[in-house]
Amino acid sequence: MSAPTQVYEPFRAGLPPLSRYVKSLWGRRAFISEFSKSELHEQHFDSVFGQLWLILNPLLLSGVYFLLIVIIRGSSDSTRYAHLTASLFLFYLISNSLVGGVKSITAGQRLILNTSFPRVMLPVSAVIIAIFKFLPTMAVFLVIKAILGLPFTWQMLWAIPVFLIAIFLALGLAITISCINVYFRDIASFLPYLTRTLLYLSPILYEASSLKPNLRAFEVFNPLFPLLESWSLSLVHGQAPRTSSLLAGLAWAVGIFLIGTYFFLSREREFAVRL
Amino acid sequence: MTNEIAVSVRGLGLTYTTAIDRRPTLKGRVKSLGRGGKQTRVIHALDNVNLDVEYGQVLGVIGANGAGKSSLMRVIAGIIPPTQGRIEVFGSVSTLLALGVGFNPSMSGRANVVLGGLAAGMTRDQIEDHFQEIADFSELGDAIDAPMRTYSSGMFSRLAFSVAATVRPDILIVDEALSAGDAKFKEKSLNRIKELRSDDRALILVSHAMATLREMCNDIAWLHKGKLVQRGEPNATIDAYQEFLKVGKSAAIDEDV
Repeated sequence: MSAPTQVYEPFRAGLPPLSRYVKSLWGRRAFISEFSKSELHEQHFDSVFGQLWLILNPLLLSGVYFLLIVIIRGSSDSTRYAHLTASLFLFYLISNSLVGGVKSITAGQRLILNTSFPRVMLPVSAVIIAIFKFLPTMAVFLVIKAILGLPFTWQMLWAIPVFLIAIFLALGLAITISCINVYFRDIASFLPYLTRTLLYLSPILYEASSLKPNLRAFEVFNPLFPLLESWSLSLVHGQAPRTSSLLAGLAWAVGIFLIGTYFFLSREREFAVRL
Repeated sequence: MTNEIAVSVRGLGLTYTTAIDRRPTLKGRVKSLGRGGKQTRVIHALDNVNLDVEYGQVLGVIGANGAGKSSLMRVIAGIIPPTQGRIEVFGSVSTLLALGVGFNPSMSGRANVVLGGLAAGMTRDQIEDHFQEIADFSELGDAIDAPMRTYSSGMFSRLAFSVAATVRPDILIVDEALSAGDAKFKEKSLNRIKELRSDDRALILVSHAMATLREMCNDIAWLHKGKLVQRGEPNATIDAYQEFLKVGKSAAIDEDV
């Protein structure tokens, strides 16, 4: 008799065989992409503009801040406006991942109770949706930057590694928060306050360089700070980001990703009875 | 019959803990926080179940509501980890525990065939190859391109069944998912399940439709309150179960699938 293809034994906290897990996740990539597309489609299903909202959202968002900065405050500093839109768009990548991720497991109840698949697929798909929403915002930003007449330099390419680190961080955060939500549903209600606090603590409405040194020391506890600082430096100011900021951002992303994924993978077999 | 083992279940036990808050009030919550934790009740869903399923077998699982049938199916499919015991599965498992898993009502029927098929573990190519077959079987016609939220419940379940019945696993677990559509479609879906019977496949069917099980299965397992009561030849086991229920051969449990 050949060896069993699957053995199920009592649940113990601990990681499932990782290579097998990753393989089965990879085998589901077509499903992940279709699933994400359909979820994204559903979000604007009833609206007149439909998928056009992917462009309209960042346009309106930057319009609101144009009103605030250029018209009301009368600031003619175009860099400031570009900094704000660029930072806000990256921030929304993270915050959309958190908001989409938090309920990904609890909302996927029907899938979880009826099919067996790597559960991490659900928060991963929330991040993919956030990326789908993010990409059009970059096109909007580049157009804004060109209109403002800000310089385009090769240093702007530093934004690509920053973006990759941001995706990593978004994955870690989405996986962590989706798992927490299984055990502590209240986290979903805390989340809007959490993201708003992060928004104000991050160098979005102000520049990282304008922060007082004593406040700046405090910012080592904000995982978004080094990322957003490097992002604005490269994309808006066209300068190379500081290596220390890049490394700090990477360390945060890897740390959160590893801890969150460990937590998630070691608990996920239990999710079905917790829903 | 090849007599190769498909699923082996040894000493399976499954317990859940559920919170019992008869009237969830804020006052009650604050009180229970002080006492340390919610009041909970342990439910023994399955208790020392031993069960072997061989390839070529069509196993019917019967039992009253709450007997642990669905729990047993979920444990075999690897959805819920057992509390005790060990389950060995020799081959690919596909579950048909509920219809339309993975479907998204805002998408068209066509997109949902892809979604549902991928959710059930098919590849894109397999779905494309079988698309016409699925569409024909569901008898939806042009409606396949309309969003699924415009479907009637019968249309929804017809399409869902058509997708599910296209998957060709080694071991197929079906949980009361056969009652799709009208009498004509039921007959058709029953025939489809019959086609799936073969020597190199194991079928596990959960149903309350005794007439169907007598016709389809070559083995029956009877669960009661989490324990395996009887296992054996369909007619004898079902007779014993119906005797136990004291309902005899009544129309109520015979007809629906």
